[in-house]
Amino acid sequence: MDFVILSLVMMAIGIYGLLTNRQLLKVFISIELIATAATLNFVMLASSTGQGLGQAFLILAFSTDTAVSAVILALLVIVSKKYGTSNINEILKTQEKRENEAEQ
Amino acid sequence: MILEILSIGLIVSACLALFLDEVVYSVAALAGTFLFTALLYVENGAVYAAIFQFAVGVGTLAILFLSGEMLSDKPTKKTSPKKTVALIGAGVVLSLPVIFLSVSGSTGVYSDTSFGNALWNLSGVDVILQALVILTVALGIAIILYERRNGGK
Repeated sequence: MDFVILSLVMMAIGIYGLLTNRQLLKVFISIELIATAATLNFVMLASSTGQGLGQAFLILAFSTDTAVSAVILALLVIVSKKYGTSNINEILKTQEKRENEAEQ
Repeated sequence: MILEILSIGLIVSACLALFLDEVVYSVAALAGTFLFTALLYVENGAVYAAIFQFAVGVGTLAILFLSGEMLSDKPTKKTSPKKTVALIGAGVVLSLPVIFLSVSGSTGVYSDTSFGNALWNLSGVDVILQALVILTVALGIAIILYERRNGGK
């Protein structure tokens, strides 16, 4: 059970940030924190059980994490360019405004 | 003792990364998070994991510095020192259960490869130097973008 609580606290902080932050980049940082918590748990559990294979699997986890980050960042750039802002509230307002204009 | 300090640093920097108002400062705090994570890996004998965490973290930070400068809106208010201190306090409070319930009992060091051996004899230093070069380039570009954005004043 070593380090499980540390990972849980990290993940809780990340999820809280994911739910409360309105900036897209902060959302991205929250996702990074959640991924870091998951990899931390993975490595520490592998370390405490004495299995060196955990480090090898960690490289796969890092690759997946990097790919996910790249996709998120691409989406972030597209959204920011389309709406001219990176604030989620303003993006929603702009979207509503556009829908209303399209209906009229 | 070192593990406890690293755990506190990890959680405090995570809190700062999420709740500071300026994106650049948040990314700097995220750098601290990655650094503390890598140090935790080293302390637990997972040196290769630490090196990869460092390299991947540097790549992520480079991208975040650039995108943070390009995409983020200018903050209307600066983070007050009071808020920063409150965030650090919240981080310390959040790390208390970690210290008393889990980290103190950790005993698992399994790797017989030392950090120096992994760094110098097994090409870990190449990976780290490449990551540092990428980070330096990204920081330079971020500084140019920042100056250009503030150049109109």
